Amino acid sequence: MLSGGIKMEIFKNNKKDRDYTIIIGCGRLGTGLADSLSDRGGNVLVIDNDKDAFRKLPPSYGGLTLIGDATDIDVLHEAQIKNANAVVCVTNNDNTNIMIAQIAKELFKIEHVIARLYDPERECVYREFGIATICPAVLSANEIRKLLGNAKKEDEVE
Amino acid sequence: MKKRVLLIGSFNKARSLATSLIKKGYLVTAINNNYQDCLILAEIDSLTVINGDGTKPFILDEANAQNADIAIALSQRDDDNLIICELCKKKFNVKKTVAIINDPKKTEFFHKMGVDSVVCSTSAITGIIEQQAFMDEIAISIPIGEGHISIAEVPITQTSPAVGKKLWEINLPKEVIVGCILRHEHNMIPRGDTRILAGDILVLISSDKQETVAIKELTGR
Repeated sequence: MLSGGIKMEIFKNNKKDRDYTIIIGCGRLGTGLADSLSDRGGNVLVIDNDKDAFRKLPPSYGGLTLIGDATDIDVLHEAQIKNANAVVCVTNNDNTNIMIAQIAKELFKIEHVIARLYDPERECVYREFGIATICPAVLSANEIRKLLGNAKKEDEVE
Repeated sequence: MKKRVLLIGSFNKARSLATSLIKKGYLVTAINNNYQDCLILAEIDSLTVINGDGTKPFILDEANAQNADIAIALSQRDDDNLIICELCKKKFNVKKTVAIINDPKKTEFFHKMGVDSVVCSTSAITGIIEQQAFMDEIAISIPIGEGHISIAEVPITQTSPAVGKKLWEINLPKEVIVGCILRHEHNMIPRGDTRILAGDILVLISSDKQETVAIKELTGR
């Protein structure tokens, strides 16, 4: 069910400097990321099991989409995961993200695997696998602290 | 010392497992996400019930996972069960972890991630259905060796093609042996020249793939 027009045979020619990112989960973060990576000339494929989720992609999106359950190893094969140099797991379920990230890292030896996790408490599960994680709550807290710090400085100046 | 077992997720499986394990003398704790289900589970004598999401470390901590000898992840979702087992193993040092999975293709992956025992509910159930639906002739069949080998009781009737034949005259597949013949009150270990009679029950040991072929050869069905 690959769509998007461009056949992925492009990888055969330039395996070394390929740039192929698979994004799993077509939510707000997934769509935004897919669009900007694709804009910069990268090959991008977004996987989601809900075909309506792809409506969130802007009409200008030039990458590929695949409908399917990315926890299914066959779907990952169909997505040609072996050719990917990065896999980004941004579904709304932490456990799904961790499992797909581990499959990508351990079964397919993907170099860059990134997972978005809402709850940072399960760290011991993925730490040793070399999976990079993004935790919105931690990032937001840091940003808010910075903003508060700036506000205080401004107060002091006044 | 009594062994401690932790059951995570699933209402029906947890209930029946808990009842049977408590009878066998285990100390059982069940974690369930649904409060109503927890109330019913709590009616089981000497079962400790924790209401919460078993994929969260603090819930496992509350259930004393660090003291458990065996953790069994029974939830509906493969990913949840993987995380439960990984948390139990890595954070709480549980000796043995068991996970139920739906997708048979992930069995090997789960083993690779350090889950000690992986039970695929889908293959187990399809196996049983196939047996029930297509092998009426078998009284009992027990899968062993992770389901690759099975032991089956095959009753021989008057109409079976194997009746009156010596064992070596029957064209059995390679990966099948007749380990024992139950004849009236006697159990006998057959040799190649043992003749099969109507009313015999043959005990077959076979690879799961050859079992059906062997049974067809013996009983004609």
